[in-house]
Amino acid sequence: MDLYFIVFAIMAVGAGLFTITAKDALPSALGLLTVFIALSALYLHLHAPLIAIFQVSIYAGAILVLVVFVIMLLITPDEELETSQKNMSYRILGAFLGAYLIALLAIGTKGVKDLIHQQTLPDGFGHPGMIGSLFFKEYLLHFEVASVLLLVALVAAIYLAKKNI
Amino acid sequence: MAGVNEYIVLSCILFGLGTIGFLTRRNALILFMSVELMLNSINLMLVSFSATRADMGGQVMVLFIFAVAAAEVAVGLAILICLFKHVRSVDINKFNVLKW
Repeated sequence: MDLYFIVFAIMAVGAGLFTITAKDALPSALGLLTVFIALSALYLHLHAPLIAIFQVSIYAGAILVLVVFVIMLLITPDEELETSQKNMSYRILGAFLGAYLIALLAIGTKGVKDLIHQQTLPDGFGHPGMIGSLFFKEYLLHFEVASVLLLVALVAAIYLAKKNI
Repeated sequence: MAGVNEYIVLSCILFGLGTIGFLTRRNALILFMSVELMLNSINLMLVSFSATRADMGGQVMVLFIFAVAAAEVAVGLAILICLFKHVRSVDINKFNVLKW
């Protein structure tokens, strides 16, 4: 483990904790932004510069701005929201399930390291041009399906935003 | 360079945090952000496997997950705004019209 990984992993986990424990939605969104930045730095470390750029520009730049916009839109000054579920059993059950999932995944993936051998990376691995040629050679159908999905989401969002729904 | 195991553990921790947030919070907007956290942890795992196996398919998959996340947020937030118009709240316990 190197220092770069440790710094950004701690940053991501700390900001993730802040995201799910912050009282209001807006500080929570800022915590999520920090998670995105930390993950973007880790992607750079993993030879994925294009993913790192898209992480910042799409996630932090588009998706999170949309979320913050909706947070601003939906603030009701008179409403004082409880932080977590009022029912204590919900809280305990949720925390237990989450901790169980973390433990299960951490134990279950323990042997993966032995199964996967570190391959030597080819020249220009992660170069945007290589990803682009993969998109238009091997994954063309998936690419088209994703564009149809985005079109459907666009139409659905506009329909839902009409006045009389 | 950190091995794939460290990335798997980090990804699991982030996924678990997202799950805990989704199951315990009441603010619907924070539930959305928890789902985003889970999607991001899966992206991290895909990219780390991609770097370990020297296979670029993982990075392409991450770009598809970006598209799905964008669609999910656009439609989900539109639905949330519609719900807010009726209930005047973002508390998920008040969205109980369809509750049995």
